[in-house]
Amino acid sequence: MLEAVNLGKTYISDGVDYEVLKNINLEIKQGECAAIIGKSGSGKSTLMHLLACLDEPTTGNVRFEGTDVSTLSEKQRDVLRNEKFGFVFQQFFLNGQETVFENVVLPMRIRGATQYRLTKDAMDALEAVGLKDKEDKRAKDLSGGEKQRVCIARALIGSPQIVFADEPTGNLDSNTGGAIEHMLFQMNKEKKITLIIVTHDTDLAAKCERVIEMKDGEVVKA
Amino acid sequence: MKVMKLWDLVKIANRNLFRAKLRTFLTVMAIFIGSFTLTLTNGLGGGLRDYVNNQVKNIEGSNVLFVRKKMPVREDENANPDEPREYKEASRDDAGNPIDPDSMIVSTAQAENLAREFPEVKNITPSYRIDGEYITIDGTKKYQVELGMLSEGVKQKTEAGKTINGENQIMLPVSFAKAFDENINRLIGKTATIGYKAGKSETIKTLSLQIVGVSTKGMMANYNCFVDTKTARRIYDEQQNQSDDYNKFYSFTFLLNTNDEKKIADAKKKLDERGFTADTFADREKRTYDAIGILQIGLNLFAFIALLAASFGIINTLVIAVLERTKEIGLQKALGMGRGKIFLLFSLESVLIGFWGAVIGIVAGIVIGSIANVFLAKTYLESFEGYSLFVFTLPTIVFVLLLVCAIAFLAGVLPAFRASRLNPIEALRYE
Repeated sequence: MLEAVNLGKTYISDGVDYEVLKNINLEIKQGECAAIIGKSGSGKSTLMHLLACLDEPTTGNVRFEGTDVSTLSEKQRDVLRNEKFGFVFQQFFLNGQETVFENVVLPMRIRGATQYRLTKDAMDALEAVGLKDKEDKRAKDLSGGEKQRVCIARALIGSPQIVFADEPTGNLDSNTGGAIEHMLFQMNKEKKITLIIVTHDTDLAAKCERVIEMKDGEVVKA
Repeated sequence: MKVMKLWDLVKIANRNLFRAKLRTFLTVMAIFIGSFTLTLTNGLGGGLRDYVNNQVKNIEGSNVLFVRKKMPVREDENANPDEPREYKEASRDDAGNPIDPDSMIVSTAQAENLAREFPEVKNITPSYRIDGEYITIDGTKKYQVELGMLSEGVKQKTEAGKTINGENQIMLPVSFAKAFDENINRLIGKTATIGYKAGKSETIKTLSLQIVGVSTKGMMANYNCFVDTKTARRIYDEQQNQSDDYNKFYSFTFLLNTNDEKKIADAKKKLDERGFTADTFADREKRTYDAIGILQIGLNLFAFIALLAASFGIINTLVIAVLERTKEIGLQKALGMGRGKIFLLFSLESVLIGFWGAVIGIVAGIVIGSIANVFLAKTYLESFEGYSLFVFTLPTIVFVLLLVCAIAFLAGVLPAFRASRLNPIEALRYE
């Protein structure tokens, strides 16, 4: 469903070319749980960015459900990310001054949903992560684990097909991290949402059904 | 897919602004100063215009020209003022009297000669200056009187009765009329007697005139009793016939027998060629309004300078906001918020700063202006009845509001544009 075809990405910095990704070919099917693992600088984050249509490749292309993403306009790509993808980041990226509710409904606001729809979807999403009672709290007043749960709720609220998680437990202690991992895997199994985790944590990667190992911009194991 | 509604964006933008209370307050205050000033300066112009409207519109005469000699233009105007000027012998007029080329005085004979060249001119009236001592109706209540004259063709608006329309007539100002009789309508048709001194003697002569009308409030009509031209001529002759300047005047009114605009324009042009300026009532009004307009532009300029300074404050505020929210923008873009919406969101924030500043400034301007009006009417402006220093009109207020919002929008364009162009990945990584 999500393919990388001869994908390559080169950055130019101070006149020097850095080939971060070299000729990646892979396919991820709907409902899969895949971990992209590698050391720092292996190109795993870059690969995720390209797969998530957050960036454009230098060579090759990304296909989503058969469509070459580079043929889409910027607006169409925005719509694609908004409707089909969900994101969970290591640093959360919540608006601390806003309420949990406001943080969770952001993708729906961007979509232009009605107030009724917003409220209903927020309720469902927060219930799924067990934070319904914290709806009106300011995000900055939550614990790390709670914050990440809000992020998961935000990722799920729009009923995405794929959730991209970039080091989701990186800022959490092992207990809280474990709970978050469990939540993500449960989401993948029960809702059949494709889960792509980018991490350098081999233990976490081992819990995924598929491991894609990156080294120096190439896939060494898929 | 439904698109994020504009109103939702406005609400979000407003919320963003009020989250940074102190910063927003300070930026709004800067705009407030500018819009407050602009409201007051426009109010001043409105007040002047309003006053002129009330004063000037009471007298009219569509086919009347005010004729004066043009300001003398020296042949050697570009000459060096430090050098002595050549002496020229004065020329003489038909009667052998030397004509002073610098003089603005025109004799009646000269004016009549001039008028004969114009078939459109029905008659001319010199601007007679006449002095009155008193006016009375019943002979016992006597009041000091200022006498004025309505030239042929000039009409004064009335609270009761009609304007001068014949001989031996007089019009009273409202204040005089009320002093004689609370019910001013009863005065119409009654006879008033005016007393005046003739020549250099101290004896007071009297004249009986019929009261034909009571004037509405206006510049001259507030304290002048207007008489007809024949009466004015009579009093003038008796008062001035010994004076050196007898039958010499600074201005005349020419009554035309046509209302045709083109003919009037032609007559003005021909008079101009003869060395005379000719103004209609409309011309004089326009000149006053133009002067007010220029004054208002000058005042507004200062307010604009304040707004200009304030708009730099907006730019600064927006730049800082974009910087602070770089990660937030990155996330929003990652979640699918388009460039246009990001631009719109930040633009709305700057427009709202302008909007709130303008609203507070306008309201404060109107409140302060209205209080000033009440205070001044009782003190410094007591003699200018009906003059409000500040007059605020809805179109002007709306214009100020829209203008300030437009300026605010322009101030925010660059930071908003840069926000919209942020790369989401780099933005998310921003430290």
